[in-house]
Order: sequence, then C-alpha cells, then structure tokens
Amino acid sequence: MGLAEGGALPVVGGAKDGSPSFLTTRLDYVVNWSRRNSLWPMPFGTACCAIEMMATAASNYDLARFGMERMSFSPRQADLLICAGRVTYKMAPVLRKIWDQMMQPKWAISMGACASSGGVFDVYSMVQGIDTIIPVDVYVPGCPPRPEGLIYGILLLHEKIRGESLKNGELRRETGVDGEPALPAGTVEAVTVPFGNSTKQNRASGLVPTGAVLRPADRRP
Amino acid sequence: MGGRFEEALDDLASGAGARDAAEASERGASAGGATHPGVEALRREWGDVVLHHEVQAGDEHVVYIPPSRNVEVLRWLKETPGQAYDLLKDLTAVDFGGGRPLQIVYQLRSIEHRLELRVKAELPLDALEIDSVTAVWAAANWLEREVYDLFGVRFRGHPDLRRILMPENYAEGHPLRKDFPLRGRFSRLEQTRRALALDLDSDYTTEELRIGRGGAGTEAARGAGG
Repeated sequence: MGLAEGGALPVVGGAKDGSPSFLTTRLDYVVNWSRRNSLWPMPFGTACCAIEMMATAASNYDLARFGMERMSFSPRQADLLICAGRVTYKMAPVLRKIWDQMMQPKWAISMGACASSGGVFDVYSMVQGIDTIIPVDVYVPGCPPRPEGLIYGILLLHEKIRGESLKNGELRRETGVDGEPALPAGTVEAVTVPFGNSTKQNRASGLVPTGAVLRPADRRP
Repeated sequence: MGGRFEEALDDLASGAGARDAAEASERGASAGGATHPGVEALRREWGDVVLHHEVQAGDEHVVYIPPSRNVEVLRWLKETPGQAYDLLKDLTAVDFGGGRPLQIVYQLRSIEHRLELRVKAELPLDALEIDSVTAVWAAANWLEREVYDLFGVRFRGHPDLRRILMPENYAEGHPLRKDFPLRGRFSRLEQTRRALALDLDSDYTTEELRIGRGGAGTEAARGAGG
C-alpha cells in the first residue's frame, strides 16, 4: 500500500491473532496519497502532442500504472487538465471555460512547446503560453515530448501534490475568474516582444524595433 | 531567383502601395501554343473576356477574366453542356504584396470531361469587391466567407458574409493581407483580454444554436411545428 513509507507513523494495534488492525498517519499524507494516485486527466488535445498523449495512455506506456487510465472527457469529473498542443486565441475561452468547470482540487500540465510558450507560432492567432489563460503546475518541454517526457511531468506533479497541505488555502484559490488573464497584466504584455528564434520575423511586423536582425541578407554567414 | 526573393521581401517590408500598381501584376508568360478547350470556347463565345491565358506547372491552364463579369462567365462555364465545370474545387485569393492587385482564384473541375481550369479575377487593393458566386455553386458560401475573413474582400450578394475562421469579435483586420503585421495589431495583453471576453456562442447563428435544443430537425421541433 505504501502508506507506511516515509512520513507516516504506523502504530500496530493488537488483534487477537496479532495482526495489525489500525495504523496512524498524518491527514495531509493520506489525502495527498489518494489524490496523486488517482489523477483523472482531462485531455485537451489540439495538435500533434495529443498523439503522444494517446500513446502515453496506450498499453506500451500504460498510464493505468498511475491510476490515470480513465481519461475524463467531462471536466466535472477530472482532476488534471493536460493541454497538449497549440491553443489559438479563438480556443482560449474554451480552455478557460473547461478549467473553470473543473472542480477543486485540480492541476494543469502544459504539454509541449506550443502550449508552454506558443512555440514556433509567434503569430497573430496564437496564445503565447497557456499560463496566460489558466494557472499551470508542470511544463513539459518538447516538440512533441515523448511519452517518457509526459510521464516524467506527471511524476513531477505527483511530487508537487506530495508536498501540498490542506491548511494552505492559497493552493486552491481560483485566479483570474473575471475575464482577466491568469498572469499579471505586465507579464502578459511582456510576451508581445518577439520570442526565441522568431525575432527575424519582426521585419514585416510593424512593431517597435527590438534591435533584432532586420534584413535577411544580414543573417547570412 | 535570389534577386526576385529579395525584391519580394522588400515589398513585404514596405507594405501595400510600395510599387507602381500599374506595372504590377503577377501574371506569368502567355500560354504560347498550348490550348485548352475551355479557354478556346471562352474566346469564341465571349471574345474579350479572356484578358490573359497562361500555363503553369506544365499543364495547369489559368485564365484571367474581368472581375465585373465573373458570375456570368462562371455560370456559363458551369451550365454549358460542352463545358460542364460543375465542381468548384476551391475558391481562394492571393495577395502578392507591393500594391499589386489581389487575385481571386476559382479552381474549377469538369467531372464529365475530366478537365480542370483555373479562373482568376484581379481586384485593385482600393476596391476589394466582387459579386458572389454562391448562386452558381452553393459550395462557394463558406469559401467566400473565408476569403472575406482573411483578405477583406466583400462579396456582393453573399447570403451570410461573416467571419468564419477568426473570432467574431476580431478587430485587427484581415490577417492574410501582406500589409498585416505578423503578430497582429494589438498587444498580447489586449489580444488575450479580447479572447477571454469572447462569447463562445457568437460564432453561430440563432438557427445553428437551436439545433439539438429542440430546434429545426429534431423531434421536438417537428412536434411543435405540427
């Protein structure tokens, strides 16, 4: 069962045949143990990352090992939102609505480069990281991440849940429910600046110059 | 190749109107000796309606027509028995930048004669209006909405000219135009706020929303309608 592993304080009581009949532990420990071992995922698959997510759930990688085989296609019965793929601005209110419909306790994994930062899609139509829309617990890098990557992210989330405490009300506080971005306005404003290798695209953008390379000819060796 | 590429990038950077629109068209070389039964018939029956005829990629025939006569010509191509271009495979547009006219592209297929014909009409950037061909091919409905959404071409007589890909509350313009900045015209903060303020039902008409809620086609509606 694993209940007696580190942190738990088992005390064996005396049944007539000498077998244990009760044990003691911390409430946080039991709650976190049950939460992290039966995370029901809400798959929000919009692109190729979703293919890897499906592979993760299939028999070869077998998400059932973590109590996650029940993909919950209803947000009301889900604990973990896995956003796998790029999210457009048109899709953003859908993602937010699904997140708002999920009941506490809930967590979110941003799977892949596009969900985490917009990836190569530094363009007019694309959300530059879903953390501007919903709070994210674990970011899984990759384009797309292999199933091992997603599983590693899930195990990181297990570690995070292991450290949570029921006394900490901040963990379950809803953020940005009034139509505002999930991040502070200044932070979202900052992603207006061209990101990563897409700075060369500034040439035709009409945005404020950033000192990036402006002429394609200048980029040549 | 390289020079042409650089030139195109310069056009992109400076936006619409940079080059003299009069010299500018993306038309290729004339078709030379190659013939196409559809183009021959157009020349014979309509005379001056064929502004230009070229061949691309070996055997793809492109014919340019005046935008003011698109509906009558296309209807003739569809309904004349010898032509029978009854399938509108695609309706799209191309913006070459640099102030050159925007091309409306009709990709036609005659299933009966196993022939393809691409018909183009050039619209100057300051008058992006053309008659809708939804009365000829019903399939043009959503395709014209897409061209309107992404290029800003108004289709006269279209029954339902709304955005189809971009959100209904999108206010930054028409993204596939060459003078459109890559990241849009608003800041990321403003774009995020507008996205979160989007009414999820706004992309649908009231009729579409009634489907499945006792609307048209359901048992409840048939019962209620008597």
